[in-house]
Formats: sequence, structure tokens, C-alpha cells
Amino acid sequence: MIQQLILNGIIAGSIYALIALGFTIIYRTVKFFHFAHGVVYTAGAYLTYSVFSYLLSGTSNQLSVIGWGIAILIGIVGAGVLGIFIDRFIYHPLRRQKASNLTFLLASFGVFIFLQNLIQLIYGAQILTIRTGPIKEGHQIFNAVITDIQILILFVSCWLLVVLWLFIQRTKLGKAMRAVADDPIAANVVGINPERIILTSFAIGSALAGAAGILISFETNIEPTMGFNALLKGIIASIVGGIGSIPGAMFGGFFLGIAENLGIWKIQAGWKDCIAFAILIVFLLLRPGGIWGVKTEKERL
Amino acid sequence: MEYLLHILVLTGIYIILTLSLNLIVGYTGLPALGHAAFSCIGAYTSSLLALNMGVTPWIGLVIGASVAAISGIVIGYPAVRLKGDYLALATFGLGVIVYSIVKNWVSLTRGPMGLPGIPGFSVFGFQLSEIWSYLILVALFVFLTYFTIRRIVNSPFGRILRGIREDEIATLAMGKDVDRYKILIFVIGAFFAGIAGSLYAHYITFIDPSSFTVMESITILLMVVFGGMGSLSGSFIGASILVIFPELLRFLGMPSSVAAPLRQMIYGLLLIILMLKRPQGILGRYKLR
Repeated sequence: MIQQLILNGIIAGSIYALIALGFTIIYRTVKFFHFAHGVVYTAGAYLTYSVFSYLLSGTSNQLSVIGWGIAILIGIVGAGVLGIFIDRFIYHPLRRQKASNLTFLLASFGVFIFLQNLIQLIYGAQILTIRTGPIKEGHQIFNAVITDIQILILFVSCWLLVVLWLFIQRTKLGKAMRAVADDPIAANVVGINPERIILTSFAIGSALAGAAGILISFETNIEPTMGFNALLKGIIASIVGGIGSIPGAMFGGFFLGIAENLGIWKIQAGWKDCIAFAILIVFLLLRPGGIWGVKTEKERL
Repeated sequence: MEYLLHILVLTGIYIILTLSLNLIVGYTGLPALGHAAFSCIGAYTSSLLALNMGVTPWIGLVIGASVAAISGIVIGYPAVRLKGDYLALATFGLGVIVYSIVKNWVSLTRGPMGLPGIPGFSVFGFQLSEIWSYLILVALFVFLTYFTIRRIVNSPFGRILRGIREDEIATLAMGKDVDRYKILIFVIGAFFAGIAGSLYAHYITFIDPSSFTVMESITILLMVVFGGMGSLSGSFIGASILVIFPELLRFLGMPSSVAAPLRQMIYGLLLIILMLKRPQGILGRYKLR
């Protein structure tokens, strides 16, 4: 039982880590809570679903590898483009007005509500499924069952986490992103255009959210409201790991996933959200810098 | 006609919620995103008292509002430690926790099935069943709330609240116990939200957790921001427009599967436009910090 719960926690955690990583990449450059991140996650899943069902209607009942590739690629790229659009048309004008953080927060809530309901208007409120073929029996490891799809989710998300980590640490663009995160003015002085870096962050962060949404849609069903919970888990994970810290976001995701699933060992599954938010409140009040104590904005000044 | 009165009653309940949230967000400058939690606590307390112990709604309303006020100490506590977005997030989280408790504590609240058959108000043995009588009742409470909150914001106490919003450190330097005032304002706001929740429960006679989601809190905040931060007449305008305007969609003959998301889309769009063009709201003088 406990092995199964930990395994479930790791799988859920890998998705949380992806969302938290995307959220953190964006947070580092713009320094406000981008709530609309959750709806980008939903949009990625729905885009893939649309392409998937469009391609499926033309052929027989099974999609080729190329078809899958196209559907997933469009989902991820679409999510990235959506992120860029949100920044260009809403956050960019607000930045020029030097709006307060709370204004950004409410505007991003507005984007979230608008887009989520737009998706609901187009696709309906009902649950949709991307069927990946016949359901197979899972594999047995360490007294726990894991399905093929779950292995795929774990593998892909861990791969994405490593690639992103290397990208930010090793490439020139990653270095520029770190520079803007540390000090946008100093970065500007040495010839980095902060606006370009912000756009890049939105593109990468949103693409990650889209990827997370697509991965989860293989495992469970998709519905218009799925982004809300996912977003909150992503935010909680980033705060637990230390807001703005990239390894922290990854760790926080896994930590939250495992904590949530171990929590329902003794109490009912319905309390999962309650556990997650209790963790958030405890961290916010007692350790706002996360487990390793990242310096918050206020302390930096 | 019945329908029109019903909308007016709902508007009144939202005005109470908006006024009380304006006290916290607009006057004291504390971004609180969990206001629906207070009305949830008020509604459930007085409904459960009425259903399980036969307590009359009048007493239930007072107890419900008091329990909500006590919960204001817990939900307002983060305001002492956190600022800005972090406070918004913490109150948001506490809102989700309250919602989650109400939804999952099935043995007490019947969870998602909700509580049906909540008795209505009665005056001298006469059961209030007509909608217009509820309109009078709600109008009375709106007046009471407005009057009390106006007294609060125009008193020396209200000046301290505005002091906290404008410059917390200066207020602290004046020898005011800022932390105590912050909690106190959450308690007062929660009390009125509890009244609104209790009125709603006894008016509709059915409540379930879905009426008190976090989206509801955001809607109330939108009403405050739309009408104007720190403006009482703004709260009246904000709540009235945002309750009545989406109802007009019904008259366009749309099926509810279209009208419901469309209504939310309008809210979302309004929030975006408001933030871009006029972050202080229609009648507000103060911007969000």
C-alpha cells in the first residue's frame, strides 16, 4: 500500500514539478503570480485533443506515431504562443504603467476566468478523453503497479526537467534569463533586452505548462476546469521549494505529490486539496522562503 | 416580477458582501481573496443550527455571523505576517481549505449533496414566504451594514485603517498596534459576510459548497474593485451592476450551457479591462498596492 502511494505521489509530483517549473521560470523574470498559467495548461491539453480528434476522423481508429507527434507538438507550441500573447497584450501594457503586483494578480485572474470559460464555451463542460489505445494491465515493481502511460509521464517529465535545468545553467540564453531574474536593470546595462527575455520566459514556461497538460490528459480525462487545481498545486510546489528557485520548484513538486498521497493513506481522498493548502499556509507563515530559505523580495531590499 | 424581486434580493446580499470586503481591501489595503469562506461559515452555522436544533433563524443569523467573525481571527492572522501577493495567496488558500472542509465533512454538512429545507425567517409567528418580505428584510440589513461601516470608516478607528493602507510604518510609529487593527478589521468584515451568508441560506432554503467557491470570492473582489476601492457608494454600484447585468443575458434567450460560461467570460474580460484602464474602479480614488 505505502509503496503504491509513494509511486502515485512521484507520478503526480512529476506533473506538479513541470507546472511549478514553468511558473517559476515566468515568476523569476516578472516577479508576480501569473495565475493564468493554469489555463495555459488546460489550453495545451485541449489543443492536442482537437488535433488528435481531427486527425482521427480522417483515418482508421488508430493514430500513427507521426499523427501523435503532430498533435503533441501543436499542443506544446500553441501553449507557448498563448503565453506570449498573454504577456504582449495584457502584462506588457501593465508593465508600462508600472502597475502594482496586485493589479497584475487580478489581471491574470481575469485572463484565467476568461480563457477557461472560452474553452468551456467551445468544447462544453463535459469530460473528454484522449484514448491512447486499449487499457493494458500495469507492471509490478516493488509491490506497486505502474502502467505504461505512467512510465511515459515519469520519463518525459523527468527528461524535460533535466533539459530545462541544463538549458538555464549552460546556454547563453539561459544565462541571460538568470541575469534578468537577478537584476533587470543591470542586465539591461550589459546589453540584454529584458522585454525579450520576459517573452522567452513566457514562451518556455507556457510550453512547459502545455506539456504538463498534455501528459496528464493521457492519464486522466480533460475538462475545462482542470487548470485551476493544477495551477494551485504548481504554486504551492514553488513556494514549498522556495519561490523563484528552479531546483526548488522541481523538489517542491515531488514533495507536494508525495505528501498529498501519503496524507490520504490515513484519511479520505477528498481531503487531498486540504492537505496541499495546509502545507501552503504552514510554509507561508513559518517559512516563506521555502525549505531551503530562498530570500524573498522584501528581504532583498 | 417574482424574478425581478429575486434578483434584487440577491443584489442586496452581494452589496453586504461587497461593503464588508471593501472595508478589508479598500479601506485597510489588505488583499483578501477568501471572503466567500466567511459567508460560507455564516450560512452553514445558522442552517445547521436551524435544521438540527430548531434554532430560529434570527438567533442563528447572529450566531452564524459571530462564528464567522471568530474565524476572521484565523483567516485574518496571515495579514500580520504577510504582505501583498503572499497575503492574497494565503487568504486564497484558507478559502479553499474552508470550502474543502465543508465539502468533505459529510457527516455534518452532507458534503456536495447540500442542505435542503432550511427554514425561512418568521416575524411574530408569521412565516416570511413572499419574496417582497425578504426584499424588505435584506434591504434592512443592507442599510444596517452600510450605516455601521460608514460609521466605522469615518471614525478615528477608520482613520487608523486608512493609515495602515497609506503607510503602515508611519501608523506604527504613531503608536498604533497595527497587527491588532488588521485582525480586528478581518473580524468585522467576516461578521458582515457571515450575516450575508446566513441571509442567503434562509432565503434560498438550500445551500451546498458550490455556492462558496474561491471563484465566488474573486467575484466579490471584482465587485469591490469595479465599484471603487475605498468607496461605499462604489460598492453599491459595483455589486448592482455585476449582479444585474449578467442576468440580462438570460433575456437574450441563450441556453444555460452558453449563458453560464459567457457570464464568467464577461467577468474575466471586465477584470482585465479594469486593470488595464482604471485599476481604481469607477468611483475609487485609491489604486491597488
